[in-house]
Amino acid sequence: MSLFFTIFALAACLGAVAVVISQSVVRMAFWLVVSLGSVAGLFFLADADFIGAAQLLIYVGGTLVLLVFGIMLTASGPYMKIPASPGETVVAGLIGVMFLFMVFATINGVDWDGSRDRIMAATHQTEGATGFDDRSEGNTLRPLGFALLGVRPDVPNGVAGAGYLLPFEIASVHLLVVLIGAAYLARAKRRQDVV
Amino acid sequence: MVGETLKFWLMIAWLLPLAGFVVEIFFGFYSKNPRHSKAAAWCAVGCIGIGFLCSANALRIWGNANEWCVLEAAEHGDPGDTQADAGHHETDSAEHQTAYSGVIYTLGVFGSLEVTLDYYIDSLTLVMFTMVTLIATCIHVFAIGYMSDELTDEYVDHSAHTSDGGHVHRPGRFYRFFAFMSLFCFAMLGLVLAGNIFQVFIFWELVGICSFLLIGFYTERKTASDAANKAFIMNRIGDFGFLIGLMVLWTFFGTFRFGDTVVDEQVVDQGLFSMVHRDGTGNVARDEVTGDVLITDTHGHVLTNEDGSNRQIPYYLLVVIGLGIFAGCVGKSAQFPLQTWLPDAMEGPTPVSALVHSATMVAAGVYLAGRFFPMFVQEVLLTIAYTGCITLFLAATIAMVATDIKKVLAYSTISQLGYMMLGIGVFGWAAGLFHLITHAFFKSLMFLCSGSVIYGCHHEQEMPKMGGLLWKMPITAFTMLVGVCAISGFWLPFGLHFSGFHSKDAIVASALAFIHANPAHFMLFLIPLLTAGITAFYMFRMWFYTFVGKPRDQHVHDHAHESPWVMTVPLLILAAFAWFCAYGGESGHLYLMLTGDEPSHLAADVTAATAGGINLPGHAAIHAVHDDAGRWALIAALSGALIAYVLYGTNVVNVEEIKRQLGGVHGFLANKWYFDDLYDALFMKPAHKVAAFCAWFDGAVFDRILHGAAKSMIVVSKWDRVFDETVVDGFVNLIASATQSVGASLRVVQTGRLRQYVMFIVLGVVALFAVMFTTFPG
Amino acid sequence: MPAELNSYLLVGAVLFVCGVICMATKRNAIGVLMGVELVLNGANVNFVAFSKFTTLGLDGQVFSLFVIVLAAAEAAVALAIVLNFYNNHLTVDVDRGNKLKG
Repeated sequence: MSLFFTIFALAACLGAVAVVISQSVVRMAFWLVVSLGSVAGLFFLADADFIGAAQLLIYVGGTLVLLVFGIMLTASGPYMKIPASPGETVVAGLIGVMFLFMVFATINGVDWDGSRDRIMAATHQTEGATGFDDRSEGNTLRPLGFALLGVRPDVPNGVAGAGYLLPFEIASVHLLVVLIGAAYLARAKRRQDVV
Repeated sequence: MVGETLKFWLMIAWLLPLAGFVVEIFFGFYSKNPRHSKAAAWCAVGCIGIGFLCSANALRIWGNANEWCVLEAAEHGDPGDTQADAGHHETDSAEHQTAYSGVIYTLGVFGSLEVTLDYYIDSLTLVMFTMVTLIATCIHVFAIGYMSDELTDEYVDHSAHTSDGGHVHRPGRFYRFFAFMSLFCFAMLGLVLAGNIFQVFIFWELVGICSFLLIGFYTERKTASDAANKAFIMNRIGDFGFLIGLMVLWTFFGTFRFGDTVVDEQVVDQGLFSMVHRDGTGNVARDEVTGDVLITDTHGHVLTNEDGSNRQIPYYLLVVIGLGIFAGCVGKSAQFPLQTWLPDAMEGPTPVSALVHSATMVAAGVYLAGRFFPMFVQEVLLTIAYTGCITLFLAATIAMVATDIKKVLAYSTISQLGYMMLGIGVFGWAAGLFHLITHAFFKSLMFLCSGSVIYGCHHEQEMPKMGGLLWKMPITAFTMLVGVCAISGFWLPFGLHFSGFHSKDAIVASALAFIHANPAHFMLFLIPLLTAGITAFYMFRMWFYTFVGKPRDQHVHDHAHESPWVMTVPLLILAAFAWFCAYGGESGHLYLMLTGDEPSHLAADVTAATAGGINLPGHAAIHAVHDDAGRWALIAALSGALIAYVLYGTNVVNVEEIKRQLGGVHGFLANKWYFDDLYDALFMKPAHKVAAFCAWFDGAVFDRILHGAAKSMIVVSKWDRVFDETVVDGFVNLIASATQSVGASLRVVQTGRLRQYVMFIVLGVVALFAVMFTTFPG
Repeated sequence: MPAELNSYLLVGAVLFVCGVICMATKRNAIGVLMGVELVLNGANVNFVAFSKFTTLGLDGQVFSLFVIVLAAAEAAVALAIVLNFYNNHLTVDVDRGNKLKG
């Protein structure tokens, strides 16, 4: 386990916990930046450099800015707090711990090697597809681009039709719809009867 | 061809009154001022008058076609040589067709039953047509005057009372009276023209309903409406027998037609009359083994069924047919024992009594008996004879004490109808129908005279209030005297005998010949002879009572006046016919016309024949005793008239004293032999008792059952309501409340708080996993 | 290798649970949105980990890419809704959005 992994993992986890704990929205946003940035670091460590870059660009650079704008537009004061009742917090914490414990137990309970072997036997695969190719380490941009265009050079024996052209197109249309919808929803309206 | 022509003219005469009826009843109803217009009357007179002309024309055509063969007997007839005369007549009839029959209109065909309107025209039909239309025309004209007080918007009926004791005020019904009269003429002529017995029945009922309408014309009078009901109900009794006869007739003969339908000299449709064959002695053809009556074709050959057996009818059923048809005649002609309705029918207006209840409708019974004569067997004829005999005596005795001028005439009518029936029953077919015609004339004359008296005396009908009216209304009085002499049967020198002399003579002669052949039935001669005297008595009594002597009621006498010309002219016409219509007697035209198509069971030259235990006199036998009978009858009539003169024409004897001394007999007669009381006790009272019992039973038993059922229904429905409200409603409410409470409890979960929902999701996931781990460990 | 994979998965699990708790406790609508982002990131960590360590290969990365894209879109729409909510209620307290409660 590398040092970097430990640092990023701890930063991500602690950031997330800090988000939960903080009462101020602005602080939550700050801790979220920490957490998401650390996750981007984890992505780089996992040889997913394009995803990591996208994480930084879209999440940290885009979504977080959006959230901060949202805070600015809606906050009635700089340190506005809307506290939850303590009972709710305790219950949520207990349930969260139970959930965490359950997921941990599940992760530890799975035989990952065995299941990988069974999958390979079932799909008659002998070689390759054992994870991302080390030889093209740090260079995932090209395969991802091909995959989104519907071509999969990284797959042995070139299974036709395994690409993501259609989901790619749907996602693009989806983004367009969201763009229009969000603009429509958020446009400035003057309400007469403000509650 | 002649048949078609005759049919054409007679159908015009028949249907014109129907058209008149339609016009009068509807135009009278809708026209602007029907209460004051005499248009309806002239329309009716026009229709029936044209009908008379058509009938006369038809008679002329018929006579020309057969060269008046039936009258030739008169020209070279020799009263002393009747056999040869009759024989000649037979041959003439054989050469010339005198009877025509055929179909007018087919109403419908039901299987083998063919319901048609037929016509049957022979000399009897033509004479009846002419007589009915002539008399009806005279009476219609008379009625214009008689009914003129109906020409008002507010007619005050002094004989009808409202509930508060006042007189009934109503609009006049002038047009309605004439509409009903036209309808009656239509029905009566249809009856005469009818070519089958079923058609006769239809028109039989039609004249019945017209009679009902006309008797009840003054419907506000209780007596009038009761009399109308009585007439109708009494006739239903007779018609019931008529229907039974029709059923038997149809079952065995399969046809209702009288005559054969002949096309190109081929019989295409055999009628009833030729189906019962008779031998020279008047016996019907019978099966030698079973005794059943054989049904034959026109040549006397026995008809066979499809299986080859002879068609035949049991003899007793032939009797049933005859008695059934005769029962209808008894009802319609008011014979014993159904005679009680006719005197009550005098509640109608007097022209109605003249036309319907003396001249035509009541004579229809006699006409039918004559028309159906070929089907009657000896037992039936004997029944007819005795019924007529009883009736004529009964009615004549009542007429002796009646005081209402119209009641006297009504009983006289019954009595004379009895004479006709007797004539037919004792085998004097021609005599009976001869009397029918003459009686129609003189009786309608007398009724019109009485109508004139009533009109002149301002609707006073009681003879004890009259008297001394002779020079107040001379035309009425003398025409009435003609009628009285005619009905009494008086003889005058130079052959100017009154018509009644000839016709009654013929009947009495037939009766005398009959008892010569059958001494056991001597009553059939004695009673008519005695009654001839009684007839003269009560008729002269009526005349003396009304026209001579001192005025008994000065008020009535002072206001009496002669009727206008529209009423006296018909009297004069009818008086002429009543006197002279039978001119020549049995050598006269009227008698010969009637006998032209006489259905005789016997060959003309047979003196007497034995049939069914009864000896039948032939024409020759009747003629042999004719002068004797005429003498006896004349003596009886003259003595009756003399007694009447002594009692009522002079003041020699105190009538009241006699009445007092014979109080028992007088009361018995004045109460009409207690027939009404007898029927009241025999039928009305038991019917009332039964009805009262039924009413009681209805109230006590049926109502109780119904009330019990209703009450139990209420109890059941109360329980049903409880069940409904507790069980059914409870179940439904339970489902509803359960749904509601489940919803209410689920409502608690739906907090509307976002964070709780998230918590639920997580809890759900955790729980799912927990279940998965515990269920699939490893 | 299982140890490395498990470490990634544990990080993803922590992020996921933190996101869930965040959603369950924050009354601020934007806080809830942040919880959603955390949950999605937890899932993304898992995808990438499977992509590296199992037969999933490049598909995992493609999926995480889609997740990022959808998360961005979702965030945009959610923020628009929040702004609308704020316009109507002058607050971003999600507990106030209970108009539909029967």
